[in-house]
Amino acid sequence: MGWLNAVIQGLLLGGLYALFATGLSLMFGVMRIVNLAHGDLAVVASFLALALVSGTGLPLWVVLVVTVPLFAVLGYLTQRVLLQRSLSSGPLATLLVTFGLSIVLQNVLLEVFSADTRTLDGGSFATGSFELNGSISIGYLSLATFVLACAVLVGIQLFLSRTGLGRMLRASSDDRETANLVGADSRHVYGIATAIAFATVALAGLMFAMRSSFDPATGPSRLIFAFEAVVIGGLGSLWGTLIGGIVLGVTQSLGSQIDPALTLLAGHLVFLAVLAFRPQGLIAGRTA
Amino acid sequence: MSDASIGGMGRRSFLSAVGLGAAALGGGSLLSACGGLKGTGGSSSDVLKIGYVSPQTGPLAGFATADNFVVKQIQEAVRSGFTAGGKKRTIEIIVKDTQSNSNRATEVTRQLINSDKVDLIVGSSTPDTTNPVADQCEANGIPNVTTIAPWEAWFHGRNGKSGEGFKYTTLFFFGMREFADCFFPMWERMDVSNKNVAALWPNDTDANAFREGLGPMMKEAGYTPIDGGAYQNGTTDFSAQIAKFKESDAELFTCTPIPPDFQTFWKQAQQQGFRPKLATVAKVMLFPSEAEALGTLTDNIATDFWWSPAHPYKSILDGKSAQQLADDFAAETGKQWTQALGSVYSLFEIAIQAFKEAGDPKDRDEVAAKLRGMKISCMSGDLDFTAGPEPGIAIQHPVGGQWRKGEKFPWDVVIVDNTPNKAVPIGGDLRPTNG
Repeated sequence: MGWLNAVIQGLLLGGLYALFATGLSLMFGVMRIVNLAHGDLAVVASFLALALVSGTGLPLWVVLVVTVPLFAVLGYLTQRVLLQRSLSSGPLATLLVTFGLSIVLQNVLLEVFSADTRTLDGGSFATGSFELNGSISIGYLSLATFVLACAVLVGIQLFLSRTGLGRMLRASSDDRETANLVGADSRHVYGIATAIAFATVALAGLMFAMRSSFDPATGPSRLIFAFEAVVIGGLGSLWGTLIGGIVLGVTQSLGSQIDPALTLLAGHLVFLAVLAFRPQGLIAGRTA
Repeated sequence: MSDASIGGMGRRSFLSAVGLGAAALGGGSLLSACGGLKGTGGSSSDVLKIGYVSPQTGPLAGFATADNFVVKQIQEAVRSGFTAGGKKRTIEIIVKDTQSNSNRATEVTRQLINSDKVDLIVGSSTPDTTNPVADQCEANGIPNVTTIAPWEAWFHGRNGKSGEGFKYTTLFFFGMREFADCFFPMWERMDVSNKNVAALWPNDTDANAFREGLGPMMKEAGYTPIDGGAYQNGTTDFSAQIAKFKESDAELFTCTPIPPDFQTFWKQAQQQGFRPKLATVAKVMLFPSEAEALGTLTDNIATDFWWSPAHPYKSILDGKSAQQLADDFAAETGKQWTQALGSVYSLFEIAIQAFKEAGDPKDRDEVAAKLRGMKISCMSGDLDFTAGPEPGIAIQHPVGGQWRKGEKFPWDVVIVDNTPNKAVPIGGDLRPTNG
């Protein structure tokens, strides 16, 4: 029963990793930007929500509903104002820009909010659960996160395959010049992609914040999980990201079942194994 | 493969980018480095320089909340100087930040010794700070006193020779015996059906000291530690540990995790139905900010208190009481007191006392000898560096306190068990953590 519990909890944890990795996957897929500030953005979202909760006294769910679109707008602006300029100078420039952004964000957060550890108090929702049987309880929050991760991925998938904007997005990612020739404004399209990525990272950040805790320095340690989920799942495939997140979550959970010292190591080993033996990832996307 | 594919990215380009990213992440700590605050004063020989090393930023920053306030208090208390070695002396305090990183602690200590040419170094909070700082001081022959680290981690972690100790480095705090003396009486007062104690001990210096030290003491006292296993700090999921604890039916709980991990664990434990009758935690829930972060789940978590405004202690510098110090801190910063307030204050009391006692306060060997032989009655109570478990260690006796809803601040500490130190008045009853 312990093993079954480990798999179930790992699966739910994987949902969180997948949700967190979606934005990274999307930004790399569309613009080839490796966003090193990804983890820090999640933390910024958490602090923003915290400030809104304590500042306005609104209930947490309202704040969540406000924060996510706010982040989408922020994402669009970041792309147009900051990232677009660096894109033309090659991948290294964008990497450095996002790295710089990461440091700036961490230090601004430290200055404004101090180094105290915080959490978002999700009340009974965050700590409540239902029991499958005596030894397996499933938390509402974990389950909601998992469902949300699937919903977000299905949503993005539908958006990419069914809508005009989604098609333009895919076209721009395949061949920016040609897409521009036939009338796609790649800057706008990229802005949209970043907006979606920021919205998902905000969502993931808030879920993380309710589940555990955050401080200004948490970002980079979270980023590694997102990288691993993307690489394990396969580059360029959104479903791969979901699978990657789940594989990572379940591996960590099973690892800790064998020996708690193995928890993080097990995840890293699977990551290494995938890189060595199946570098295209478990579900390969289209390759260039 | 699927039409969810978004873009023709080459594997190589991604991997090289990731590689660069990883390198960039690794370099972060270098770039974010920054210097410390400088105290007042010149560099004439009548000025005694004290270097102070603590984690002012990063995950351990909670320990250093009161630093600036304490430095100011000390500077005010000895503003008019004091006589040491037949001359009037003033002090200069140079503050350095470890950024919660032990390598950086080594680096800034070296700076204090080589560039700032300090006469004495004090340091506080967790073995990650105290050990590298003390190692540097011992190697360079600089008198040193540190605090807020279990003495075992400080002494054995630095390969101290039993019965001999170190020449230049001293510590005041407590160890596993005192944790046991603080926690066990509270456990005994709880009405529990078995003597299993769930123990969440990660794989780090602090927790390994608990595993090897407190574990056997628990067995001696008739308790069975249910060790959740040596997990790595930064773990996001504690299902395996929680399942193990539930299986054991343990109703008592103790732990030594890093603060963010405790928040994660405690929420998950609640979620997955592990609700111990009494939680006596170490290393976490020491500060109001943590209590606030955990929200309603904070209620009646018990931990060790080596200093509180209720402790009947006074400053040796200006006679200020613990209560006054806490009140001044609240008035000046708007923040609630922390235990580190009293400890950091005492670091400077001890340093100044050693200067006063020495025939020549610039003679490092003599000042170090005074530190090792120090008996002082200060903000941290009566400390005797000659009577500790090893030479150069003074022992404090923490009492048990619980977090309750406060009046002025959201959470307040109530001292509920003073078995180890009867001088501290009891403030309320011991209540179950999960009633």
